[in-house]
Amino acid sequence: MSAVPDAPVPDVSAPDDDRRSGADASTSVRSAAPVVAGRRRRRWHRIAIPLGAVAVLLAVTGITQAIDQPSPGSAGFLSPVNADDEGGSRLADRLRAEGVAVERFTSTRQALIQATSRGFTLFVPSPGLVHPLYLPYLAEPADRARVVLVDPPQRVLDGAELPLAATGRRWAAGAVDADADGRPCPLPEAARAGPAAALLQRYANPPGLDNRTDYCYSGGLVRTERRDSEVVVIGASDPFRNDRIAERGNAVLATGLLGSHDRVVWLDLAGPEPPPPYHRNGELDPWTSMPDDSGTYDDGESQEGNGTPEYDGRQQPAPGQDEQAAPPEPRNPLWDAFPPWFWALLAQLALALLLVVLWRARRLGPPVAEPLPVTVPSAETVLGRGRLYQRARAYGPAAETLRAAALHRLTQSRGVPPDAGPDELAAAVAARTGRGAAEVHDLLYGPAPETNQELLDLARALDDLAAASGTSLGTSPPDQPRHDRPSEGDAR
Amino acid sequence: MTGRAAILLGAGALTLPLWPAPWLGVLVMSGVVLALTVLDWLLAAPPGEVGASRDGDRAVRLGDTATVSVHLHNTSVRPLRALVRDAWVPSAGARFDFPGAPTVRVEPGDRVELPSRLTPTRRGDRPAVRLTLRSYGPLGLAFRQRAERPSTPPWTLRVLPRFESRRHLPEKLARLRIIDGTEVARGRGQGTEFDTLREYVVGDDVRSVDWRASARRADVLVRTWRPERDRRVVCVLDTGRTSAVRVGDEPRLDAAIDAALLLAALASRAGDRVDLLAVDNAVRVALTGGAQSTLLARLVDTLAPLQPALVETDFELIAGEILRRERRRSVVVLFTALEPGALGEGLLPVLPRLATRHRVIVASVHDPVLTDLTTRPPETVQDAYAVSAAWRALGDRDRVRAALARHGVTVVDAPADRLAPMVTDTYLRLKALGQL
Repeated sequence: MSAVPDAPVPDVSAPDDDRRSGADASTSVRSAAPVVAGRRRRRWHRIAIPLGAVAVLLAVTGITQAIDQPSPGSAGFLSPVNADDEGGSRLADRLRAEGVAVERFTSTRQALIQATSRGFTLFVPSPGLVHPLYLPYLAEPADRARVVLVDPPQRVLDGAELPLAATGRRWAAGAVDADADGRPCPLPEAARAGPAAALLQRYANPPGLDNRTDYCYSGGLVRTERRDSEVVVIGASDPFRNDRIAERGNAVLATGLLGSHDRVVWLDLAGPEPPPPYHRNGELDPWTSMPDDSGTYDDGESQEGNGTPEYDGRQQPAPGQDEQAAPPEPRNPLWDAFPPWFWALLAQLALALLLVVLWRARRLGPPVAEPLPVTVPSAETVLGRGRLYQRARAYGPAAETLRAAALHRLTQSRGVPPDAGPDELAAAVAARTGRGAAEVHDLLYGPAPETNQELLDLARALDDLAAASGTSLGTSPPDQPRHDRPSEGDAR
Repeated sequence: MTGRAAILLGAGALTLPLWPAPWLGVLVMSGVVLALTVLDWLLAAPPGEVGASRDGDRAVRLGDTATVSVHLHNTSVRPLRALVRDAWVPSAGARFDFPGAPTVRVEPGDRVELPSRLTPTRRGDRPAVRLTLRSYGPLGLAFRQRAERPSTPPWTLRVLPRFESRRHLPEKLARLRIIDGTEVARGRGQGTEFDTLREYVVGDDVRSVDWRASARRADVLVRTWRPERDRRVVCVLDTGRTSAVRVGDEPRLDAAIDAALLLAALASRAGDRVDLLAVDNAVRVALTGGAQSTLLARLVDTLAPLQPALVETDFELIAGEILRRERRRSVVVLFTALEPGALGEGLLPVLPRLATRHRVIVASVHDPVLTDLTTRPPETVQDAYAVSAAWRALGDRDRVRAALARHGVTVVDAPADRLAPMVTDTYLRLKALGQL
């Protein structure tokens, strides 16, 4: 707490406090407790108010963002028949306008069963809702198919056995160029679209796994291949949504991603899927037909376990693709430059420093304020008036005062009659001091000085004159009665 | 926690290169230090179970040293090792005066006395503000400290005015005795109040022969007079803005208090009744003289906390108060400043009312800076202007004095160190002349 800016306040209030305590001690004692309590409350405010403001700001921002952000779990999210902001009807219309057939399915099983033909696009706007047992089949529904997954969580990526990991997530979707991080984007759709709002959730290969994966939009869109089909994972739903499809290159990117084949199987899930109904050989089999199903789908190739060898086989990196598919965030070499104990030492020293801070932060009672007295410097009005004279260049009045004072001293001390004329007085003074009468007359009655220097000379000369005639206050004090000796009350 | 815990952790950090698993070492050592600290904290005597009280001096003269002690009573079951801070306002000049200060060790159930020596640097009430206790554990790794545990025992030390002019008192009392006539016969008869008749002896003033009484008796009788007794002296202290002006190192008010004390001491010894008023825009202190023996002590005690205020003095109020309180003719000694603005507009309009009822003395501390300015030859241009302003201020002051004198007011204008003797001299002179 800085005492300096507060100084004038105690200056003024201090005598009040003192006086009150002197006049009525009980009053000040009674009022002391609330004052202390109030001060403590204010001190508490000092911490609570900024922190509270920040907390409120964070909460408001978080709530607003949560409300504003579309939730993939809600019904109608990116549905081709939903014309709301969250829906995908505009995307479906655009696709139809380009001659792409849009088939909507509300169950993964049906969609996988129906989509047996070659060359189609499987669009999964909310992969988190797909039942985990379907996930291994989701990534490769058929030959030469393209699967587009929107913002799949890590659980889905693991379930679908995709060699990808969700890494960083941004606060909101950002519109960037397809090759924003310097890695060229081999997807022609992305290149055509230009900047699009595709960067929300970043994906990368997990460390150690190196796959033939293409990165676009700084990792916001990745493409990887499973056997003959390709899987496109995009972290942001913004390019597909009705409310943002018209922005930037969103529409071109969305229609490009979904329009590579002439058929789109649109998996429109309204909520978490129920598990597949039937057991076969004691384990769940998603492909067993339900009673109301018209047809069956049984593809031995897509049985469980098939994916893994394929997946392992893919781990052989093609030479020359190393740099392109390098991990996006390599380990900082600084970590390896020092032995581990060094970092541990630093950490422990930091902890020790924290202890020192905690130790020194606790003060031994609050500082005590001194009720400062009122201080008025002596003669401040006189000196201030002198400075005012100087600023106003009041040569005339200043000289007049000086001459009047000198005259007063001369007449009072040496018996010169007070009603003596100027000439008479000058002659008397001149006779006593041995100076010329004209000089003394000029000094006492001359013209007013015109400059600072003339005034100073005049003041000095008058002082000399008074001293020469023995009336200087310094040598003999004829004027002292005026200051020191009490004048008696016999004036009555 | 304390610095010791931090040192322990820091020293432990230096052994980390020897650990097979450094991060584990960090965890282990931090855990150990934390556990020890918590243990130490638990073992520290709780400050809430320590009782505190105070005793010692209540008042001290400015410049002297007082002793006030804090008593700590450890009612907990654990020994108390504590750092104590007894915070007074800085001008109280308090410091602990016991071996090992400011740390203290009190066994369970024991009491300890912690004396503080206070050498105040300012007049007035100097309060003790806060007693803080920091209770350490046996290892010195952690401490307990809570505000107002134990609660601060209140104490206020009243610092009395220095009353430097009391050295003048013996001389003034001697002069008073001369006037009273108890020491030198020559002094008898200077009063105006009839005392006794006695036979004429050679050397008596023939003017004091009472011819009528002599005619009734065969002897020549002379009247003897004594100075008036049981007069009233009212000291009025102006505590307004002009009294805050620093003359030398202390405010004008302090010089006025000093002079008022000397005057009160003398007047009470002379058998007069002394009243005191301190007024600015309200009555700050009003004291009516009581028993002579306790008057001075009461005055000193009452005037000790008096401080100047930055307000314009209400002379109307002063006059009203004096006229209301003093029915009999009194000597009113007004301690103020000879300032044309304050006196010209405040005092002069009410002075006639006051002067017709009472004998008024205006006592003022005059500013040594003005004398200095008007006696020293000017050296710079600024000096020349300042000298001019100073002469003008002196001229204004003379006009105020003249105006006051027209109303029959005695003006005492003296430097701070000579004000008290001069005011008492004036009082003695008036008393000797029987003009009280």
